[in-house]
Amino acid sequence: MSISIHSQITAAVYENANVRPRDERRRALLGVRGLRKRYGPRLLFDIDRLEIATHSAYVLTGMNGAGKSTLLRVLGGLERAEIDSLRFACEDVLRVHPYPRALRRAIVYVHQHPILFSTSVADNIGYGLVVRGEPPAAVRPVVEAAMEWAGVAHLRDTDPARLSGGEKQRVALARAKVLQPRLLLLDEPTANLDGAAREQVIALIPTLVDAGSSVVIACHDRELIGLPDMQRFKLRDGHLEVRSPAPSDPSQPPRHS
Amino acid sequence: MSDIPAAILRAFELLFTGDADLWRIVWVSLKTTIAGLVLATPPAVLLGYVIAMYRFRGRRIAIWLAQAALSLPTVLIGLLLYLLLSRHGPLGGLHWLFAQPGIVLGQFVVALPVLLAFTLAAVQGLDERYAETAIALGASPIQVMVRVLHEARFGVMAAVLSGFGRVISEVGCALMVGGNIEGQTRTITTAIALETSKGEFAQGIALGIVLVALALLMNGALMLLQGDAHTVRERA
Repeated sequence: MSISIHSQITAAVYENANVRPRDERRRALLGVRGLRKRYGPRLLFDIDRLEIATHSAYVLTGMNGAGKSTLLRVLGGLERAEIDSLRFACEDVLRVHPYPRALRRAIVYVHQHPILFSTSVADNIGYGLVVRGEPPAAVRPVVEAAMEWAGVAHLRDTDPARLSGGEKQRVALARAKVLQPRLLLLDEPTANLDGAAREQVIALIPTLVDAGSSVVIACHDRELIGLPDMQRFKLRDGHLEVRSPAPSDPSQPPRHS
Repeated sequence: MSDIPAAILRAFELLFTGDADLWRIVWVSLKTTIAGLVLATPPAVLLGYVIAMYRFRGRRIAIWLAQAALSLPTVLIGLLLYLLLSRHGPLGGLHWLFAQPGIVLGQFVVALPVLLAFTLAAVQGLDERYAETAIALGASPIQVMVRVLHEARFGVMAAVLSGFGRVISEVGCALMVGGNIEGQTRTITTAIALETSKGEFAQGIALGIVLVALALLMNGALMLLQGDAHTVRERA
């Protein structure tokens, strides 16, 4: 499946204003026009246009209650919203509800406080591959590599309920990464983490982009916002603002505030 | 009243000498109870899951009926089945009245709402991130159900145990539909009810001890199965 998406993307033309020509690999991945979420009479947000490119990282900021989580959950197919039009990998998606299989396979949402299934750490990470019908022999090495990547190989036999918040977050990231999603939606991955646990999670994010995913991170974490090459969305008063990215010139240290 | 100690002694005698009548009654009870539970568990768990997870027309009515059925006296269920199964009833041709299939049908009907309500509560009480995570990772509806029921497994086991407890201890339905025929449809509860009324305490006491032992055994097994479960404080 990923092969066909790749060929579609190669054939595609630039159509995203946010794509900077500096990175030749970037193409339009997801384009949404007219995205509205209502709770009864209340309009939570009304987004004219949302463009996400391949091989790109975005932070989504905004006040508590602005709808950051809801926006990610809508994009990840866990909540419904009104959507005028949606393009994915340069193809028009005609029906958004029920959430199309092609999007389900390509977009993975990770909760702010991820929950782990009461199996083993390894089975948690392999779950998405197993439900896709991958044979166990193919799943095992991928899971091993992902556990190494996330630094949780030593936890393989630990009861998932006994992991710390940071460990759970890293297992959840590995669980999403093995699926090689085109788009990863991370809901406040560093919330309630501090010190080494937070640094470990932050260090994993650029490697996800290097591995070929685009990442949208809802967060308040200034260090995440300040990561090099991070583009910025801000939800304010129900509208989405697009901010210019932080400079990623290697001669300048990344901005930390 | 002086014959009560004698009856207790006689009860233990019956238990430990392998009294054929006594153990036949226990066997009929166990057989019909387990058959009823085996038949009721799949549809009840499936229905409980669907009602907990999906929004559909008539959902609240289904919950209402299941909850109401919990407090229905089993003798009323027995009466209903009696009318259905009696010779001139719509199911009379089955000849299930005063026979074990009739008791099994009764146990099925008695167990269904208990299993359904407990499964519903177990799935509703589960953190919704389990289902969402499975969905986000690409699981099909059936795979989500397997995942969620696995996470709710202790609740589902508790549902089956409660069903067992209700079914093996109910007397009204088994009496109405079974008729307490010796060697055929005499169950633990119908035997206790009718033998005691005839002044035969020993068998009633012996059967009561068997019931208590069964309850301890079943709940002990559940506790062993839950051995790795955590306390609320540990999970937090």
